Amino acid sequence: MLGKLIKHELRHSARYTISIYTAVIVISAVMGLSLLSSATWLGVMSCFALYAAGFMAVIITLVSVIKNFYDTLFGRQGYLTLTLPVKCSNLLISKVIVSFIWIVASFMLMVLTFVMIFFYAKERSSGYFTIVSDAISLSGILEMLPSASTVIKLLLVAAVWAIITIFTYVSFVYFTVTLANTRALQSHPKILGGLIFLGIFSLNNTVGNLLTQYMPFTFNVGSDRVFFAFEQMGKAEEALLSYGVGGTLFSGLFAFGLLWLTGYILEYKVNLK
Amino acid sequence: MSIIHVSSLKKSYGRKTVLEDINFEIAEGSIVGLLGPNGCGKTTLIKILTGLIKDHTGTVRINNEEPGPYTKSIVAYLPDKSYLPDWMKPGDAIGYFNDFYADFDREKAEKMVRDFGLDPSQRLKTMSKGQQEKLNLILVMCRRAKLYILDEPLGGLDPAARSFVLDLIMNNYAKDATVLISTHLIGDVERIFDRVLMINGGRLIVNSHVDEIREKGKSVEEVFKEVFSYAW
Repeated sequence: MLGKLIKHELRHSARYTISIYTAVIVISAVMGLSLLSSATWLGVMSCFALYAAGFMAVIITLVSVIKNFYDTLFGRQGYLTLTLPVKCSNLLISKVIVSFIWIVASFMLMVLTFVMIFFYAKERSSGYFTIVSDAISLSGILEMLPSASTVIKLLLVAAVWAIITIFTYVSFVYFTVTLANTRALQSHPKILGGLIFLGIFSLNNTVGNLLTQYMPFTFNVGSDRVFFAFEQMGKAEEALLSYGVGGTLFSGLFAFGLLWLTGYILEYKVNLK
Repeated sequence: MSIIHVSSLKKSYGRKTVLEDINFEIAEGSIVGLLGPNGCGKTTLIKILTGLIKDHTGTVRINNEEPGPYTKSIVAYLPDKSYLPDWMKPGDAIGYFNDFYADFDREKAEKMVRDFGLDPSQRLKTMSKGQQEKLNLILVMCRRAKLYILDEPLGGLDPAARSFVLDLIMNNYAKDATVLISTHLIGDVERIFDRVLMINGGRLIVNSHVDEIREKGKSVEEVFKEVFSYAW
């Protein structure tokens, strides 16, 4: 059933994001075609449009996570979704997975638009030879980087951090929307929802920052290795860069707790209008 | 054997009690009318039976189980509003039901969509309210469910459409199944009921077999008018 829930969730949520993704493709094509023309204004306009579209893809995706969650569970479609023969936990898991996919896709799209704009600008200003020479000089910089295994470890830690950050955002949104749709709060769901979101966001940031700063558990980047240390930020020997892990761990656990609460409220306390 | 068992059911919204001390059982294979004026608690009771509301006291069992994923798999529920998203087409909705309900008859649904003049590729947002209601009813009635719960299926329909909807229900429900129909339009439907439940002010005030009512020389509508006379 989880697979079917994810399939239908993907189909439903695509309604919100498909237009901006299509816009990015069309603008990219216009930008590419403008290389054949001497009209620089077209290229400049499409660069700005692509930049805006890449940025908008992220914003629209983040907003669509909220709208999709509300529409499918607390709008009139809730009568369909909440009477499906599936557990509430499966409903939530499918929504978390699909939201995660869309958010990652939107950030990747934004990065891709920036890369396209960069290469377009290079091509416009100096031609391919500059790109090639830049690539060669970049290989020189690459030689200065730590070993491949260290870079991979660094990327893995960054990926885990990104996953926890997205998971935290999604759980905050789901908890807020669900709590705002209980009978006690649904008289003013938008205002109260905004306050709830602000409250849990502030709590997460305050506690997270304190733990990041003072909890003796850090991730460190040395000259030729990355390592964890049970010391406060900046105290580990050999560390060129140091980051307190406590805040991120707290966010992950806090988000997990909120998601569990969301499931409970959805199961027992939600009041469909 | 009873398909629905409700005892000492109570539901409050804050200080307001909307259902109080509700007790009844419904036998398998019967057609039951859940009757009462607007706001009497019919929809709340239906939401409890379908598992949409769980913060109540008392006992509710559907086929001996508490409302949950299992009971949702055997209950075909038609709410009193269109619950399909606007972007869906009848074909999408059929695919959706087919994916989630093992008892859904896809071929029958596709045939009924064609027979009732619905365009399988037309989006719901471009359909009339009547067409949307027709599609919702087709989807529900194409399940071979043990229990059909239909909340105000006749609300807002003209007499011809009411007759059409009743025929659609009677010709398509699984014959060994139980049908619970909530309505405040008694005249059109009383001929199909085996039993009627009448709710007023959150209390079950009539729970009677239709034959018992007729033996007293009355129709269901007459009893309804007697019971709810103040509301007319």
